[in-house]
Amino acid sequence: MDVLHNLAFGFEHALTLQNLMFCAIGCTVGTLVGLLPGLGPLATISLLLPLTYSIPTGGALIMLAGIYYGAQYGDSVSAITMKIPHASSIVACIDGYQMTLKGKTGLALFTAGVSSFIGGTVAIVVLSFLAPSLGEVAFLFGPADYCALMLVGFVCVSFVTTGSLLNGIAMCMVGVLLGTIGTDVTSGAQRFTMDMPFLADGVGLVSVALGCFGIAEITKNLDNHEDRSPFNGKIHLIPTWAEFKRIIPSALRGSAIGSFLGILPGGGPVIAQFAAYAVDKKLSKYKHEIGTGAIEGVAGQAAADEAAARTSFIPLMSIGIPENAVMALMMAAFIIKGIQPGPNMISGHPDLFWGLVASMWIGNCFLLILNVPLVRYWLSVFKIPYNVLFPAILFFCCVGTYSVNNNLDDIFITATFGLMGYVFMRLEMDAAPLLLGFILGPMLEENFRRAMLLSRGSFIPFLTRPISGTLIGLIGLFIAWQLIAFVLQTRKASASRRIPPIAPEVGVAKE
Amino acid sequence: MNDRNLVRGLVLIAISLVFGLQSLRYSLGDFSHAGPGLFPFMVSSLLLLVGVTMVVRAQFVERVHPDFKFRNIAIVLTSLCGFALISRFVNMIAGIVFMVFFASWAATSYSVVRNLKICAGLIAIAFAFQKLLGLSLPLY
Repeated sequence: MDVLHNLAFGFEHALTLQNLMFCAIGCTVGTLVGLLPGLGPLATISLLLPLTYSIPTGGALIMLAGIYYGAQYGDSVSAITMKIPHASSIVACIDGYQMTLKGKTGLALFTAGVSSFIGGTVAIVVLSFLAPSLGEVAFLFGPADYCALMLVGFVCVSFVTTGSLLNGIAMCMVGVLLGTIGTDVTSGAQRFTMDMPFLADGVGLVSVALGCFGIAEITKNLDNHEDRSPFNGKIHLIPTWAEFKRIIPSALRGSAIGSFLGILPGGGPVIAQFAAYAVDKKLSKYKHEIGTGAIEGVAGQAAADEAAARTSFIPLMSIGIPENAVMALMMAAFIIKGIQPGPNMISGHPDLFWGLVASMWIGNCFLLILNVPLVRYWLSVFKIPYNVLFPAILFFCCVGTYSVNNNLDDIFITATFGLMGYVFMRLEMDAAPLLLGFILGPMLEENFRRAMLLSRGSFIPFLTRPISGTLIGLIGLFIAWQLIAFVLQTRKASASRRIPPIAPEVGVAKE
Repeated sequence: MNDRNLVRGLVLIAISLVFGLQSLRYSLGDFSHAGPGLFPFMVSSLLLLVGVTMVVRAQFVERVHPDFKFRNIAIVLTSLCGFALISRFVNMIAGIVFMVFFASWAATSYSVVRNLKICAGLIAIAFAFQKLLGLSLPLY
């Protein structure tokens, strides 16, 4: 009953008028961000990071968390009504859009909203039971174990977000290298600063995130010249009892899958949705309908999406290692506020931890109201043309960068990273692992140096310690599997085509 | 340079060389007492390895054309830098006006009236940031 007591304590903090307001702001902004193209949760959280300096710690964290899970609610709306996928609603485009074609938009939106609510609720229960006990385990971790855990995170995130291990790992390493710019903590030496004083503190996180995600994303949308036709159909929200009954089992399955996958390193909403959709296709009573606009095709993935978004807070808050790029940004937000996430956080700042958990449930209720009865008003957001939107987003990027240090020079750094992000995007290299590497890089270096100091320069403890040994073994297995898969694939390809096609010489002189 | 996979590898090799060669100028130390240069050197060596692997692999897989369109990114970056410069030497309101009008070249259509409306909206938001959230924006 400890948990209930703690939750009651958390609600005391979350239900103050001020925190309710921050929660509502976070959820509203999150929904808006989820709906709009060109601003994902990553860019938004980094935009608002500087604005939270003047907000009390609890409120700031509640608001930022609200943006993250709110965005997961919002993005299924655009997927269902217009087949516009965002970062994490690719699956909702399949059955959700089919339902719109059948004229059941209202039912699809209702299903997505209610399933997300169920997913969120299940995940909060998991979070409140698991995070404290996982925190106990974290006390067993030594520097070598932390290193190994971060490496597992890099490998998983690289594979999940980019689909190609090599690309992802490369981006992680670029991020780690960018993270070494600035003053070395141990020796005080200035590294890679090119004698520029403003680089002595390192490159700003907000500049990297806004450049690689904000600016690059805006330019991508401008390049695509996408014309979106707003949704004008009728929405009938209230389902029949028979339809409602079909939502529940699928949503519960999705919640369980999402809660589990959210905890694993590299996990998060995207992979959880695909898994939930695949499981529904195998197990559901109506599996023959999935793919043609079935309720289950929307319910399962929406619940998994939302559940995973919340359980991904568990590794961050109990071990102190973020498992994906958004969580890495959340960690930066904690640190800016002077709190080191990790096993000591729950005992040291119980009001923050339990307040955040309780606020997630309150946010869940806000989002249900925002996304089910009020959904038709949100759809008018799509009527804003992108030509109006993008100068505004650019302006927010500038203000966000500037207000970190009240320094206009930072905008030039953001612009530099914008160019870098654009080049990487055009080379089809995802910048999410870069951001994770950038934030975890300094931690990785510190723990690596500490582990090596303890072992007197020997790598053996990495393999002999039970936790790090297991984790490094997993990485080894994974890399071996990737290598074998690649060799088999090239053999197959070279057997099927003897003569490689000669690439035509167009598009070279585009510059 | 007409193969995306090759360009990828070359970009990574370039990054790894910039960081790797520079890190040799700091003291490396040894593993038990790592100097400031050791960790960046290790990471950039690994990155070099990955880059070389990509270049080698590019010879075996099908070529893909890199798809660079420099017009829009140039417009966006110029408007950002222009905003920063004008905000410093004149004031931020002028910066906003410049940014909106310049960035709009990248839009699908150009309309002076629309730009004026966006400017008015953004200046209002900037004042709200300054007065309500206490950001110190050099607006005028």
